[in-house]
Amino acid sequence: MIKLDPSWLDNVTKPSRYTGNEWNMIKKDPATVSVSVALAFPDVYEVGMSNLGLKILYNILNRINDVVAERVYAPWVDMEAVMRQNDVPLYTLENMRPLTEFDVVGFTLQHEMSYTNIINMLDLAKIPLLASARDEHHALVIAGGPCAFNAEPLADFVDFFVLGDGEETIGEIANAVRTWKKSGKIGGKNAILEQVAAIEGVYVPSFYEVSYRDDDGCVAAVKVIHPAAKAVVTKRIVRDLDTAEYPTKPVVPYMDVVHDRVVLELFRGCTRGCRFCQAGILYRPVRERRPETLLKLARQIVDSTGYDEISLTSLSSADYSCLHHLVTDLIQEFKNQGISVSLPSLRIDSFSIKLAEEVQQVRKSGLTFAPEAGTQRLRDVINKGVTEKNLEDAVGAAFQAGWSSVKLYFMIGLPTETDEDIRGIADLAYKVLNLYKNIKGRRGAKVTVSVSSFVPKPHTAFQWYGQNSSAELERKQQLLKSLLKDKNISFNWHDVEISYLEGVFARGDRRLGQVLLEAWRQGARFDSWSEHFKYDVWMNAFKKMNVDPEFYNLRNRDINELMPWDHLSSGVDKKFLQREYQAALAESFTEDCRRGKCSNCGVCSGLGVKIIDWEGKA
Amino acid sequence: MTKLRLEITKGEEIRYISHLDYARTIERALRRTKMPLAYSEGFNPHMKLSFASALSVGVTSMAEYMEVELTDQVSTEQLRMALAQQLPPSIVINRVKEVVGKQAALMAVVNIAAYRIVVPWQTVEAPEAAKIALEKFNNSPAVLYIKENPKGRREIDIKNYIAEAVISNPTPEGINLTMLIKITPTGSVKPSEVLKVLTEDFALPVNSKSALIIRLGLYVETDGVRVSPLEMR
Repeated sequence: MIKLDPSWLDNVTKPSRYTGNEWNMIKKDPATVSVSVALAFPDVYEVGMSNLGLKILYNILNRINDVVAERVYAPWVDMEAVMRQNDVPLYTLENMRPLTEFDVVGFTLQHEMSYTNIINMLDLAKIPLLASARDEHHALVIAGGPCAFNAEPLADFVDFFVLGDGEETIGEIANAVRTWKKSGKIGGKNAILEQVAAIEGVYVPSFYEVSYRDDDGCVAAVKVIHPAAKAVVTKRIVRDLDTAEYPTKPVVPYMDVVHDRVVLELFRGCTRGCRFCQAGILYRPVRERRPETLLKLARQIVDSTGYDEISLTSLSSADYSCLHHLVTDLIQEFKNQGISVSLPSLRIDSFSIKLAEEVQQVRKSGLTFAPEAGTQRLRDVINKGVTEKNLEDAVGAAFQAGWSSVKLYFMIGLPTETDEDIRGIADLAYKVLNLYKNIKGRRGAKVTVSVSSFVPKPHTAFQWYGQNSSAELERKQQLLKSLLKDKNISFNWHDVEISYLEGVFARGDRRLGQVLLEAWRQGARFDSWSEHFKYDVWMNAFKKMNVDPEFYNLRNRDINELMPWDHLSSGVDKKFLQREYQAALAESFTEDCRRGKCSNCGVCSGLGVKIIDWEGKA
Repeated sequence: MTKLRLEITKGEEIRYISHLDYARTIERALRRTKMPLAYSEGFNPHMKLSFASALSVGVTSMAEYMEVELTDQVSTEQLRMALAQQLPPSIVINRVKEVVGKQAALMAVVNIAAYRIVVPWQTVEAPEAAKIALEKFNNSPAVLYIKENPKGRREIDIKNYIAEAVISNPTPEGINLTMLIKITPTGSVKPSEVLKVLTEDFALPVNSKSALIIRLGLYVETDGVRVSPLEMR
């Protein structure tokens, strides 16, 4: 156990990031457990504490009597300096235990720009960085989350990855570790890796060998080199979310965190089929919880936390089949306790506005819509089934209901995009301003146009597409800026250099491991925080390791190219993605299979799972 | 309608949470009690809760004061029992008292805060040097200090805020300082600032970076009589 000295914490920002002891924290005596797991989030406390996945795993693991899960987050740069100066190893918040005392250290991979933080956390924990340098005396370093579906850039550092829903897998892993430990770790580290490789959804990268083609550098083959390994690792899935365990006593942080409220996950999966969206593929198919289950969960969480807000989250909460009914019930039940209900994502239609009105009552704080592209043509390419009329109706309804500020989200750098599409973004923004004037008879609307740069992701229809160069993205940003001259329109855009690097790692392979290590050595960390992002360090690291970043992000890939992640499956057929890419180029629409026609993506038949939607049944 | 005044603590485990975090923690604990709490009117209702004086990050306290309003009759014992179950171990309820009739806001009447600073020696045990430093500080008619914050720099006379001579008790490990600081409508001084001046300008031979600061109490002083907010009439 580490005893925190006041001189360490008195001089860092937000010291309560490092002291734990929050309400609902679970503290077990390490001497009484067989398996201990450190759940690690590779970003600061206030970001990590908002992650639902880790809350779910924390709850499931700690409900097993002889298993303990404790939390650890990336220390901010000031705390890192203090820890290095005073030789304090990275520790968990529950028992202030160094990570080296754990059997398993599990990281969640939410985005690519967190990879250097993983390396940094291992280093601060004094755990050897490379999987090959660790034996049975070291913690097993594991990782899950969306980026595990292209785990390759991290293959050198992680012992095994867990693909898909973790609710069931995590317990099976804990069981395997318990048995292995009880046997006296017979067979060493290799034995536990063989054990877990048999678990559905577990990928042990060291059991595979990747070769590359001499001529163009593309992946030649991914060869299975261990009998325990499967040729293709397919994600795990919870068939019925309604009966899955949900954390009803989440840890309540003292300090303000990003999402500091009751989080109710209405459903998992989204099948609207936006062709740029990775989550839409990875979490298929849609599985809803029953409204009565959600109401019960809300009651339990409110009672155990004392939160004053309930947030309904999902990939697209407004698509929940019983949303209206649920929202009405929640408001009815909790209004006397001073508890409000919030909907983080809105659909572009007037139904959403009615709902937003109900949940927000009179606080008109501003509404956010995501048309994603500026013209109908490009929205058809990305399969964003939204028309200009939809947007006009939705925004019109919002203005009529009293809202006056609207935020519009777009992407630039999408496949087939021309300057016409960029101008379309500006046109839409002006149309929204004018709509307000027509409805209200006066000016006064505020429109925020927020533009991110499109990064093609693996396992999507656009995985073959070469990302726009930084120069091209900057040119488009400037063009848009020159078109948005009204003082009532504000314009936000993202740093193109961060998107550039995200693009490299999103579709990277194992050869990037050495670049990651070198960039970290030169000081890269917290890369998603623009104040810490060091583009030059990264470019030096690529140069030094003789790796061309543009091979990964800017190159258009052949439709038949073997992708570095082809042995990792979301259950969706590659053929479906190929069809969708063709459909994108043909500007043709693919229906949402949730209520429309099945588009044969392969998930339901392949994984033996079906869509669970309570429409008309509840 | 009931208004209750509580004396509570802020313990070691949560010394690094801010005053805002502390207030939010109490608010959530109160909500978990399911007691009939009073909320402000309007579209963004707030729990009717007030605190006497903010505590700096890193400081623990043996006596913080707060008031909470309830819409129904709730006894001091009922609230104490219900709330104690919902508080983290680092917050303890010392006393609860009902506020009868109209009383001035806690925030406005508390004007003295007592602190203890436990601080290790800089290098070696040096009680003589400490005694000299304290005597010099206590006997100085004025001690100027530049208060710096994001808004700018301001020179203050620390002695304007020191109610009584600072008492020091040396131990083999370090010294314990006890001080009474005035809280005035125009400002106050932090115990950490007093310690800083003592080490930097008066050569107190301690390691101020490893100091532990404890608020011993808050008082209302009127006409030379000092009482806690719970004894106030």
